[in-house]
Amino acid sequence: MIKITDLEKYYKTEELQTIALNKLSFDVKKGEFVAIMGPSGCGKSTLLNILGMLDDSDGGSFIFNGEEVIHYNERKRANIRKHNIGFVFQSFNLIDQLTVFENVELPLIYTGVKKAERKKKVHEVLEKMQIMHRRKHFPQQLSGGQQQRVAVARAVVNNPKLILADEPTGNLDSSNGNEVMDLLTELNKQGTTIIMVTHSEHDAKFSHRIIRMLDGQKVIENSLI
Amino acid sequence: MFRNYFKIAWRNLLKNKVYSFINISGLAVGMAATIMIGLWITDELNYNDHFKKKDVIAQVYQSQAMNGDVGTGPAIPRPLEFILREEYADNFKHIVMSSWEQPRYLKYGETNIYTQGNAMQESGPEMLDLKIIEGIKDGLKEKNSIMLSETSAKTLFGSDAAVGKIIKVNNLDDLIVTAVYNDIPENNSFNEMDYLIPWKYYVTKQPWLENAIDRWGNNSFQMFVQINENTTMEAVTSKIIDVKKNASVDEAEFNPQIFLFPMQDWYLRNDFENGVQSGGRIENVWLFGIIGLFILLLACINFINLSTARSEKRATEVGIRKSIGSQRGQLIFQFLSESFLIVILSFVFAIGIVLLFLNGFNNLASKVIVFPWTNIQFWLVALAFIIVTAFLSGSYPAIYLSSFNPVAVLKGAFKSGRYSSLPRKILVVTQFTVSIALIIATLVVMNQIQFSKDRPVGYDKEGLIQIPVMSNEFIGKAEVMRTQFIASGGAIEMATTSSPTTNVWSNRSGYTWEGKPVGFQEDLAYTNVSYEFVKTLGAKIIQGRGFSRDFPSDSLGVILNKTAVEYMGIKDPIGKYIRDADTDVENREPPLKIIGVIDDIIMQSPYSPVKQSIYAFDNGGTASFYNLRLNPEKSTAKNLEIIKNVFKKNFPDTPFDFQFVDEEYGRKFSSEERIASLARVFTALAIFISCLGLFGLASFVAEQRTKEIGVRKVLGASISQLWLLLSKDFITLVVIALLIASPFAYYIMGQWLQKFSYRVSVGWDVFAIACFGALIITLITVSFQAIKAAIANPIKSLRTE
Ligand SMILES: Nc1ncnc2c1ncn2[C@@H]1O[C@H](COP(=O)(O)OP(=O)(O)O)[C@@H](O)[C@H]1O
Ligand SMILES: [Mg+2]
Repeated sequence: MIKITDLEKYYKTEELQTIALNKLSFDVKKGEFVAIMGPSGCGKSTLLNILGMLDDSDGGSFIFNGEEVIHYNERKRANIRKHNIGFVFQSFNLIDQLTVFENVELPLIYTGVKKAERKKKVHEVLEKMQIMHRRKHFPQQLSGGQQQRVAVARAVVNNPKLILADEPTGNLDSSNGNEVMDLLTELNKQGTTIIMVTHSEHDAKFSHRIIRMLDGQKVIENSLI
Repeated sequence: MFRNYFKIAWRNLLKNKVYSFINISGLAVGMAATIMIGLWITDELNYNDHFKKKDVIAQVYQSQAMNGDVGTGPAIPRPLEFILREEYADNFKHIVMSSWEQPRYLKYGETNIYTQGNAMQESGPEMLDLKIIEGIKDGLKEKNSIMLSETSAKTLFGSDAAVGKIIKVNNLDDLIVTAVYNDIPENNSFNEMDYLIPWKYYVTKQPWLENAIDRWGNNSFQMFVQINENTTMEAVTSKIIDVKKNASVDEAEFNPQIFLFPMQDWYLRNDFENGVQSGGRIENVWLFGIIGLFILLLACINFINLSTARSEKRATEVGIRKSIGSQRGQLIFQFLSESFLIVILSFVFAIGIVLLFLNGFNNLASKVIVFPWTNIQFWLVALAFIIVTAFLSGSYPAIYLSSFNPVAVLKGAFKSGRYSSLPRKILVVTQFTVSIALIIATLVVMNQIQFSKDRPVGYDKEGLIQIPVMSNEFIGKAEVMRTQFIASGGAIEMATTSSPTTNVWSNRSGYTWEGKPVGFQEDLAYTNVSYEFVKTLGAKIIQGRGFSRDFPSDSLGVILNKTAVEYMGIKDPIGKYIRDADTDVENREPPLKIIGVIDDIIMQSPYSPVKQSIYAFDNGGTASFYNLRLNPEKSTAKNLEIIKNVFKKNFPDTPFDFQFVDEEYGRKFSSEERIASLARVFTALAIFISCLGLFGLASFVAEQRTKEIGVRKVLGASISQLWLLLSKDFITLVVIALLIASPFAYYIMGQWLQKFSYRVSVGWDVFAIACFGALIITLITVSFQAIKAAIANPIKSLRTE
């Protein structure tokens, strides 16, 4: 599903150039659950942003679903993104002014789903995440675990083929964290490809394969199955 | 301690450059506008301050009823003087009869000037406190004397002594200069009075002036008085109010009321409606005063809005300060010193702006205002103004900011609730309500002017000039001049008139005609014209014909305008007679035969219906203007050159003076046009200030919602969707403002238009333009920030630090 080759990314700040990704290559097959690990600052988030088509790379190749997308413009990438990719962030990134329902509804609005259809889909996914009873609450009124469940609900409501999760359990205690990992495992079993960045060996064990990075390069890869 | 407050305030200013810029520039512009309006108002209110006796000087006015309509004006009859002097003398310190201000031709050797002046009685200079530079204050005592203003003396004599020199007036009489007085400064009555001649001299100049001595019906003169110390204007008025009514049986039917119109009111309150004083320029003073306050309010609103909006960002600062023991009072002080700093800086810039634009403003408002550097009062007002503005714009944010609960703030639980922005929204709506109302008002004023300009004038005012008649020589030569002008090819036709085409100088009554209703009191505009009047002006004959050389009896003919025919109720007017109704058969003038009816021509206000007018034949001696129709085959410059040559050949000693009739007509719009240009400027300022505030708020909101925008973008929102999201709220506010402003402006402008009988109706198009304009302006202002936020890369805003 994803094949990256010699991916490069530099950041230039005040004459200082950081190499965030240094000729990174790997591929991820459809239905895989891949964990990415590495010390802070090694380029994991940068990688995820490029995979999520939120950012440009400075070289290399990125094939998504058989298409070379590296030279795609903003509009084309946004289009691929909104139909294929869901995001889960460490800090949830829910919108404070919107209710749980409205937060989860957003991706459907942006892909042009009709109102009745949206309601059905949002209810379905909220049921599945067991936060239906909280649908009229605002994010501040929920616990961290609940907020992350809403975030996951929002990431999957559009049935994306790929979920990118950047330290999804980073702000959660272990029991809430496990709940989220169970959710991701469940989604993966239903066929969604997942790429997850984590610091936790425990969480990484839920995946099929761990890619370990250092200074923007892949250093080792262990398969867990 | 204070230093510390201001130091922190200064740092905050530097830290938030955009915010400081918006605040200071908005406030500075608002203050500058308010200062200019304030200076303008002061100037208006100080009109006639040059006259020390301002509060005891009055002009004698008269109200008269014609068919139930009461008209009020300064024109009074000569015999009034004698009755006041004989029977009411103890009320007055001075009684001064005066002519109207009128241009005369003054000549000394080879130098000549054509300039304005009055004929007055002896105590005029004393009453007006003229400062005599040379000669005597009693300079009007001798019949053949003349007093000159400094300016006219300088032009005529240079640096030589003026007193004792002999001047030729209107190429006719020799008058001896008896005094030179200081020019009366601008912004005062009589400021264009360049000379004074004796009343005694003036009244002997023409028979009708002499005859007027016992005519109560000839209201052709002015009278100024200074009342005695022991009395009041009201007291004197109550004594003299019926003098004319009691003195003249013939005039009693018009119920003439004689009263004193105090100098205090001459300039600002000189409108009368049905005999009652009803305002005047003072309304503009109020109007612009209110606009000035509104503009300041708009600028203050920006300040309040931006500070409270930003306050949420400063919540942490407040929390920390409070938790380390800051008293609420100290916090308020800190925030107030910030607002003081901003206001003081703004004031400094405002003065700079005023200095920069004062000239332009003076041109716009026809003023000569100078910046009052040395006026203590101004600086005191300015200080009060700074304090009030600082408190007005600083106290709300100060109290609001300092009321944050430190615990909640530090726990990070401080969230702007759904309604925390409500006061801000109300303020934005207020700003836009004012701006939109101003837009609508400006459009209505401009429409009204255009509408009146487009009104058909009834003649062809382009390519028409008038040459004022400056001496009796002109009158006698009218026929010769006409022949020469036409022969020269510079003009194709010429006619004389007794008043300019753009004004009515004479009104008549005392006629009778077939079918005149019993007791009908007619009031007819009266002009004497020569043979080719209709042709020269290009007026339109509706019935009958114009004066013609082929009909000798036309010398007793008369032309009516359309309104006069309707007004007088004459059926089939051609061939009918208008007769003098004088009971004294000896004095009766011969009857006038109606030979033609012309379409109405606008001689007076373009905003009023055309007055019923009659045009009688000029039998020589009444011409005040030569009217020339320029040759359309030649350029205007060429025509004027030819005409000037002909003129100079005939009147070698007289300067060639003329006016374009269309320019004279254009002057009728000058006061409305001045209002329109001021309104445009202030509207632009109001919009600018409101937009500045909106821009600040939009950038604040965009900043506040960065994370949200990032999330939405990641979830697939397009740039246009985000732009709509960020702009929508502001558009809603502006739409609300439109809904409030429109009926309000509709009502106010409806009232304003009432004073014009020929007026535009306020149509939907004005509101459509204002609506469209306001929305476009809002969109442009807000979109800059919205689009900037929408195209930003979301990963920056979503990074967790
Ligand atoms: N916007 C940026 N500007 C400059 N440097 C950046 C930026 N984003 C990331 N970096 C640098 O790139 C490197 C990789 O960052 P990141 O991908 O966030 O690492 P990780 O997520 O693995 O902690 C780090 O050295 C970081 O400082
Ligand atoms: Mg990271």
